[in-house]
Parts: sequence; C-alpha cells; structure tokens
Amino acid sequence: MDSSRSQSLAPYLRDLGFPGAPPYTRGAYPSMYRSRPWTVRPLAGFGTPEDTNRRLRFLRAQGATGLSLTFDYPTLRGYDSDEPEARADAGKGGVAIDCLEDVEVLFDGVPVDEVSVSLVTCNPSMAIVLLAMYVAMAGRRGLPAGRLQGTSQNDFLMETAVTTAPSALPPAAAFRLECDTVEYGVRRLPRWNPISFVGYNLREAGATAVEELAFCLAHARAVLGEMARRGLSVDEVAPRLSFFFSAHRTFFEDIAKYRAARRLWYRMLAQELGATEPRALALRFHVQTSGVTLTAQQPMNNVVRGAYQALAAALGGAQSLHVSGHDEAFGLPTEASARLALRTQQIVQHESGVTETVDPFGGASFLERLTDEVEGRARELVGEIEARRGIVAATESGWVHQRLAASAEAYRAAVADGRLPLVGVNCFTDGDECPPEVFAQPSAAGRQAERLRRVRATRDPARVARALDALDARLAAERNAFEAVREAAEAGATLREIHERFRARYGRWTLPLA
Amino acid sequence: MRAAADRPACVKALVAILGLDSHWRGAVAVVRTLRELGAEVLYLGNQFPEGIAEAALQETADLVCLSTLSGSHGELLPEVMRALEARGVRPIVLVGGAIPPSDVPALRALGVADVFGPGRPLEELRAWVTRRDRVGRDLT
Repeated sequence: MDSSRSQSLAPYLRDLGFPGAPPYTRGAYPSMYRSRPWTVRPLAGFGTPEDTNRRLRFLRAQGATGLSLTFDYPTLRGYDSDEPEARADAGKGGVAIDCLEDVEVLFDGVPVDEVSVSLVTCNPSMAIVLLAMYVAMAGRRGLPAGRLQGTSQNDFLMETAVTTAPSALPPAAAFRLECDTVEYGVRRLPRWNPISFVGYNLREAGATAVEELAFCLAHARAVLGEMARRGLSVDEVAPRLSFFFSAHRTFFEDIAKYRAARRLWYRMLAQELGATEPRALALRFHVQTSGVTLTAQQPMNNVVRGAYQALAAALGGAQSLHVSGHDEAFGLPTEASARLALRTQQIVQHESGVTETVDPFGGASFLERLTDEVEGRARELVGEIEARRGIVAATESGWVHQRLAASAEAYRAAVADGRLPLVGVNCFTDGDECPPEVFAQPSAAGRQAERLRRVRATRDPARVARALDALDARLAAERNAFEAVREAAEAGATLREIHERFRARYGRWTLPLA
Repeated sequence: MRAAADRPACVKALVAILGLDSHWRGAVAVVRTLRELGAEVLYLGNQFPEGIAEAALQETADLVCLSTLSGSHGELLPEVMRALEARGVRPIVLVGGAIPPSDVPALRALGVADVFGPGRPLEELRAWVTRRDRVGRDLT
C-alpha cells in the first residue's frame, strides 16, 4: 500500500475499521449474524414458579433460544410473599421467589448448562440472593457453577434511581453489593455476566439516548475502578460486563447509539484504562424494544412499532433481543401477545435478510455523523458525571433523578402539544379503540405461603441463624458477601431473612424524586 | 397552564405510589402537573392503604392521587377506601396507571372518582383541581 493511499484510509480505520476489530464501531464480532444470529430471548415471569415454568417451556417450544426472567415486586424489594406488605403484589409483574425451592421449581426441566438465562433481578440486593440461589440450585443438580451461562441484571441505579420502593438501600450500599456479585462472578463463574448495565430502564424512566449511554458507561467505569481496588484488572473484569439498551422510537439515533457505544467503550478501555484483551474491548449488549413508546390507543399499532425497533437492534448489532408485547400499556403479555412478539423478531431474523450482512449502514454519511454526535455528547456527559465525583455520588445528590425527570417531562410535553407525532394519540386518532384482552395475573400469595410454611417447618433453624449471622459478619467486615448469601439460601433462609440483614446493616434511603 | 404562583392553592393533594409498585414516572408527572395547575402537593412515595388514609387524615387532603402499574389495584384499592372510611375522611380519590378498561367500573363502584388509565392526558387533571366533594360537586 503506498503512503498516500494508507493516509486516506487512516480516518476510516481509526473511526470504523472492520467488524470484530478496533474500534468495534461496526460490530463486536467479525462475521456477526452470518455465523451466529442474535439470541431470541423473550422476557417472562408472573405468578408462582410453577406458572412461570409453564410459560418458559411454552416459549422454548415456540423457538426462543434464550430465556429472561422477571421477578415480582415483593421479590425485587426483598419481601416474602406471605408478608402483609407483599400479599397484593405477590406474583405481579414477575415470578414470586421466596426461597431456594422456588428457584428449583422455576427451572425444572430447563437445561441450565445449555440454555443461557438472564435473571432480570434489577437491584443488587436482590441480584446477589437470586444468583446465589441459582448457583445453589445448579449444585443440587450436580452441575458445577462454572457451567452456568447467562447474565444477572445487577445495577444499583435500578435500586436507587430508576425504580421506587417503600425503602431502598442507600446508593453506596447497593453499589457495594453489586460489586460483590461482580467480583464473585469474575472469579468463579467463567460463563456468567454478573452485571448488565441497565440503559433500557433509564430510557423508560425518561432518559434520552445520550443519557442512557452515558449513565451506563459512567457506571461501568465505577465498577472497573472498584474491581481494581479489589485486585482485579480491567482485562479480567471488562469481558464479563454486559449492557442492556433500549430500542426506542428514534430508529436512526438508536442504531447510532449502539455503534457509538462500542466505539466509546473501546476508546475508554484501550486509551484511558489500558485494556488490551480483545474480549474486554468489544462491548456486548441485549436490547428490548421500548415499552414506553407503546400506546393504549389503537394497540395493534404497537406490533408495527415492535418490528421496526427490533430491526434497529439488528442493524446496530445486538447480541440478544426481546420484543415487548403490543398489550404492554395494559399489563403483562398474554400467551398470544408473547408469541406474536416472539414471531416479530423471528420474522426480522429469518425473513428480512438482515442477518446476511454486517453493519449495512457503515459508511453512510448520515449514520456516521449521527454516530459521531452521539459518541461526542455521551463522552461529554460521562465527563460531567466524573466531575460530580462519579455515578454513585451523582445518584446520592439526586442529580440523576433530576435528569431523568426533566427528560421525561420534555418528552411528555412534546407528545401533549403535538410536536412529537404519535400515531393514534395526537394524530390519526380515528380508529378501533377496542382494548386488547388483558392478561389476568394469577395471585401467588396463597400458594407461596404454603411452600414457605413447609420450608420453615423442615429447615434447621440453628443452621439458618448461624448462616445469617455469618452473612452479617461479612457485611460488617466489608468482605465479599456472596458465599455467605449462598450458604444462607442453602440452609433454607428466605429472601426476606437475607434482605433483612442488608436493611439492618445499611439503613433505608428515600429516592429524592419530588 | 398557569403557574402555581399565579393563584393561591385551591386544593391540597397527596400523590402516592400504591403498595410495592416500582414505577415513578407517572406519579412524578402528576405531581408536576398538579403543581402547575396551582394545587399544593405532597409526594409520599410508596404507601400501603393504612399509610395513605392516615396521611389523608393528618394532612386534611382534598385530593388523593394513587399511581399503580403493578396490577394490585384490585386488591389494594378496596383496602384504601375502607381505611379512609374508618377514619371518617372523604377526599376525592383518583387512580392512574396500568388499569385495564374492564376494571374501571369496579373501581368507580368503590368510590374512586376518576381513573386515569393508559392514554388519558394529564391535562384532564385540571377538572379536579378545584375544591370538590367526592361526587364531584364544586365546593369553591
């Protein structure tokens, strides 16, 4: 290659390069979907573990290639199903889990060493318990933990900024538990991503695409910093970090966001943090099509929204995908709408031809400019968060909440006054307003209470007490709590009993919202 | 919308998230909208039925706005209404969130004054930001 030719190629190689090679703008892997299509990973969870187990089997039979589990409100916030505060919400919005036996029932018949499973546990104080129970469940099946493959959603921003609760752990405490799970995962679970930075839910709470990306990257920097303090290098930790992004109504901006995410990640890790391991340098992510863009008016229109958002995820090189049900505005998906959402991404994957090429927008001037812009603005915002002493301090001060609420309000106002067209809502409003059949979530409190009674009656109370005290001692000594949580779960401690030790140690925090 | 400073508060409103539901985007938007409409607003975060009724009593609230997207409204709203009744307070109760249209008649029968299900514009809260009794009679 003569020097003038190589000079003209320099900007291309610097900013785009080739898929699977620095700066990874064009994809995490060289041949992308041509050798391995994205994982078709529908989200499921409601009622008791038996109820959700049936839905998991249904989804696998319908062609799902991965699984993703949601948990009910009491589980996410550390209540057992039979407590007075939990009764009404038990089994709502996800599956009710109270103890190790529940996890065994939930995954009965699912080959957890072959199927990758995403545990959408949201909050670190819950993620550590669920992953510990998952590892213990595998142990009872005779499977070594090293064979488990999947992802834990384990994000302190979910616990302290994105979702609300009667009482949350303070941000620093939630971040500490998050890092305990990450550390355990990096050291002991070679096929598990012990954290997924939750951009999707930030976006659902109101964040813009740039905020979604910047908050996730600032958070990832904080985790890498804490892991370095614990003696783990960037090259050891970064390959195990995964991301979860939204596919919103902003088709091109979201494609640009995925491309910018990979490039910015590469540049941060290679140029600022000194990473060299290729697996550390290529950002990998799951996508969910946006629930908040789906309308109650003319709900069948949402099928179309899900389809183009799924296409954006594919064009941006997602590693796995969930399409939200068209009945999202009203409740959890029925079996029929869950299947239609699954079929939607199967049509995109198997019929559209999108898997036959890699980064087809690469080089298109509009998309490249948009990618540059998203990257530049996200980098600037990461800098602002760093100037606020990092993402944990920015959450403690309420700055993160203010950003989310302000962006949410700007979006709402733009729809309300018609600046942002929303078909069926502020334009083209004539049409079938017939609401869909709404999924009736089965109540779980009664059935869970029965199992809890049996578990409490048959366990060894002294062993449970010893395990919980040992957990508390680990928390007090600021030592990694994961193994102690696993031992407590194996002894038969319930989610609440474990969670109570976190609450007692760290206190309660109120989200600074309004 | 008129800013809060333009006129004195005519209604005192409580806004809470029902039970263990975790979504705050709608509730915070309601707080903001009510304030813009001139109401005095207290945001209580997550509350259980007894806590909601006790706050309504202590704060002599005219309007109680409850947000729920978890699906537990069928079980918790009867408890809220009973807890209010037990304290002899009769604020206007509004409910918003992921409420299927088929559930609305039952909520209205409980005494819920209005249901802001998916797709209802928040601007329609304006109708409630005057002093009214629970059957909607204007008391101003």
